[in-house]
Amino acid sequence: MSFRRFLLKRTLIAALLTLIAVSVIFATLRMLPADPFSGLVASGSLTPDEVDQIRAMYGLDEPIYVQYVKYIQNLFTFQFGISLTQQRPVGEIIIPALVNTMVLLLPALVATAIVSSLAGMYAGWNRGSWFEQSSIVVTTVFRATPIFVTGILFLIIFSYGLGWLPAFGMRSPLANPDGYLETYLSVDFLKHYLLPFAATVLFYSGDFLMLARNSVVERMGSEFLMLHRAKGLSEMEQLGRAGRNSLLPLVTYFALRTGMLFQGVITLEVVFAWPGIGRALVQAILNQDYPTVQAAVFIMALAVIIMNLTADVAYAKLDPTVEAGDV
Amino acid sequence: MSLLEVDDVKITYRMPGDDVHAVNNVSFSIDEGDNYGLVGESGCGKSTIAKSVLGLLDDNGDVRSGSIRFDGRELRDLSERDWMSVRWEDIAYIPQSAMDSLDPVMSVGAQIRQAIRKHRDVSKAKADERVAEVFEMVGLDPTRTGDYPHQFSGGMRQRVTIAMALALDPDLIIADEPTTGLDVIVQDKILNKLMELQEELGSSLLLITHDVGVVAETCDEVSVLYGGKVMEQGDTDRVFRNPTNPYTMGLKNAFPEVDEFDEQAISIPGSLPDLTEEPTSCVFENRCPFATEECGASHPDLVAANEQLSACHHVDEADEMRDQAKDPETWGIDVRNEVERTGGVGDVILETDGLEKWFKQPQGILDDFRGKEPDYVKAVNSVDLTVHEGEIVGVAGESGCGKSTLAEVIAALQDRTGGEITIDATPIDDLLAENTKEFRSQVQFIFQDPFDSLNPRQRVRAAVSEPLKIQGHDPETIDRRVRQTVEDVGLKPADKYLDQLPAQLSGGERQRVAIAQALVLEPTLLICDEPASMLDVSLKANILNILREMADDRDIGIVYISHDLASLTQIADRLAVMYLGRIAEMGATEDVVRTPKHPYTASLLAASPRTDPDADRKRVLLPGEPPNPVNLPTGCNFAPRCPKAGEQCYRGDPERSECTEGDHEAACYFPVEDVETELLERYIEAREDDVEEVLEGGMTP
Repeated sequence: MSFRRFLLKRTLIAALLTLIAVSVIFATLRMLPADPFSGLVASGSLTPDEVDQIRAMYGLDEPIYVQYVKYIQNLFTFQFGISLTQQRPVGEIIIPALVNTMVLLLPALVATAIVSSLAGMYAGWNRGSWFEQSSIVVTTVFRATPIFVTGILFLIIFSYGLGWLPAFGMRSPLANPDGYLETYLSVDFLKHYLLPFAATVLFYSGDFLMLARNSVVERMGSEFLMLHRAKGLSEMEQLGRAGRNSLLPLVTYFALRTGMLFQGVITLEVVFAWPGIGRALVQAILNQDYPTVQAAVFIMALAVIIMNLTADVAYAKLDPTVEAGDV
Repeated sequence: MSLLEVDDVKITYRMPGDDVHAVNNVSFSIDEGDNYGLVGESGCGKSTIAKSVLGLLDDNGDVRSGSIRFDGRELRDLSERDWMSVRWEDIAYIPQSAMDSLDPVMSVGAQIRQAIRKHRDVSKAKADERVAEVFEMVGLDPTRTGDYPHQFSGGMRQRVTIAMALALDPDLIIADEPTTGLDVIVQDKILNKLMELQEELGSSLLLITHDVGVVAETCDEVSVLYGGKVMEQGDTDRVFRNPTNPYTMGLKNAFPEVDEFDEQAISIPGSLPDLTEEPTSCVFENRCPFATEECGASHPDLVAANEQLSACHHVDEADEMRDQAKDPETWGIDVRNEVERTGGVGDVILETDGLEKWFKQPQGILDDFRGKEPDYVKAVNSVDLTVHEGEIVGVAGESGCGKSTLAEVIAALQDRTGGEITIDATPIDDLLAENTKEFRSQVQFIFQDPFDSLNPRQRVRAAVSEPLKIQGHDPETIDRRVRQTVEDVGLKPADKYLDQLPAQLSGGERQRVAIAQALVLEPTLLICDEPASMLDVSLKANILNILREMADDRDIGIVYISHDLASLTQIADRLAVMYLGRIAEMGATEDVVRTPKHPYTASLLAASPRTDPDADRKRVLLPGEPPNPVNLPTGCNFAPRCPKAGEQCYRGDPERSECTEGDHEAACYFPVEDVETELLERYIEAREDDVEEVLEGGMTP
């Protein structure tokens, strides 16, 4: 099978998966015992007639299949509707939150993937060294500690204790930047950025380090490395080849992690009061703001599916023994 | 001055607890342009020596004393940086298992280019030119340099590693078991290529192998190693024609030859010496039938004997020892009455009729939906086979010919696609439907690898008694039969072995436990899939003897599957040769070996190396590789590679009844009459005529 056909097939499957995912969201929300307005009737703020009017306004009086078709249409054209509680388009709420999350987590994940994987490969190559032992212990501690605990610890030390960095939010209350550039490219932002960034990097370092170390250990002693050595390759060049051969699990894990990233690290965002999508979702659920929830869940599902697709493609590209058709 | 001088080298491995003295006072030297062989069984230290010459010893290995000089330069003192410049530039290396020794995620061309550019300051294009050049030299298609290792067959990968070794015109090439794991025909082609190239380039070769035949055919000089010591050293012809050391005699006699029938195989009793201490007695003393008190006192020095060197206290009695060493009784083997053997064939125990096993190739959902007929790999394709009680039927063939699948289908470990299997005149389906347990006790299977097929946490007693427990016997019977069987397979006294774990047993002993496991149920049919191929020659013979004995004494029918023709001819009463899922030829072993009819059988037989240095054998340069088993062309499977193929061969698929002579049948329209002129010479002609066609893989006629 050619690579193009493979890609086409995988994309089709991904699209199908997305459709299933959004249908599940639709069905789940419709199966909830109450609708967003019944509470208003019960509390006496609205008469049943007024509720019917509002329901008609949101198109909730139409037959369920019409609602479903409209819902699908809107989602795939990225029209998420109007928030029930904030009275503004859901897109306006979701997109900035999403960007905030990505700005925090994407660089953190990339940084930890690169640094920890390299460290892990080095650790695996020097098996039994103090570097290997200590790096495993340190990263495992950070992996095992819930991220909100690490976060709070950081806040206690660096914000409240040493007073070096601000503790809260994404910018100081006085700053009022305009546009993304101004928001993200400022010293003020950087100060707010450092602690959650560090917490995320450390949290994920253990996974990449162990994965990289284990795959390099597995490669060590293999015949082809012996041949590389016999060819006169230096120690570092040999490690490079061992590392190249260990890339598969790392890339897969990175892609899957990135897919889940859009769910944000909810607890992290809460601890640092980071206005990300995780926090937005929690608030929307608490407020029973269904359009926002639907949109957020849709974006998360989409991200997971897209990153899985990326992982598959990367797999086929990285490992020549994986025939495009096998994946 | 010699190119490589290894002088009095001692190498030890640091192990938790004890150091292992892997190599003890080994000396040899290789002159420029010479082929030097290091031969010995596993654990003799041959690979350790090779690695020390390249500075590739594992981290826990140390050269303790002695010197290794290359071109007058001491290699032991080199720093890692100096090593990097010596490796490949001066000394190249052909690794043991071509299957694993190429980097799987790097194209083969890039791997060779990497070796070139590491040592020479040349442009990428220049290096690529050289890659194409060496590819052509080893007979690979230079347009395939961009392919990845998995796209090549085992034999072609080995050619890639040879090409890599040639890339920088090294002075010395170290080849560590370069053909182990390859089929004989491929081995023959690779060795031929290696010798040809080495002749042309004038580099020296250090060949490391366990295969006496390969050394005898390729090397000028040889050292026979055992227990980290050189046992015998000298001119290859002399060493193997007139060995002066009991170990060399044992090794040579244990090594089976294709045309030795019915000869009782010789095996060397006992196991390797413990090397945790430097040997104080002769390392071979505990297994040597000629050992005297003197041998227990010290390891003998290498002394001149005839025209070679031999480490034996009794070199002056070499001639008498040589005569005695030919007699199996000297090695503690009971000689059985040969008459008993041939007379013991009873009723038919297994019969297969048109047996088929096809594997469906995966295809897309859409193709399934459209009802497209999927492709099949016809692993077993209409195979007729009969086995009688007390008879050993050998099934020979190269890897991928379907012989293992055949074994598994007969034992009902895999479902068959078509055909009939009858065991003891009852169809297998009826047997399975009636009583699966009963069937399983009748038909037993012995697997290839004694290291994997035993549960490492089960003691011998538990392992052997398990089948009996499953069958529900009472404890007393179990104990009696376990003891009996364990002793029958030569683990005597049983008490010594019953409470041991597999890890405490040697490879040969483990395989005997596996055999005991199969025999304890007193099966009527035993299927052995390469039961001895992982074992050293000196132990292999032992397993063969046990199986022979079982067939004779217990009237068991045995199907013995192997790629090793020499051991097959020793053990099998009748021989079937498989090629791509079909039996190409079948008949009494002696008939098949002496007068092969099918060109494939003839080529296979002619490709087996000979231990006799005087044997003048033409190499078998069978063109191409076996075709892709998916969608085989119509006609005879072997036709595309066959020099005798006529038009008829491409049209019709010959039946086995096509060429018969008594029991001897071959599926060939034009049976071979003279191997030399009809096949071997024509292979060579074909190769000279059109090398390009060979490169294409011989897929198209």
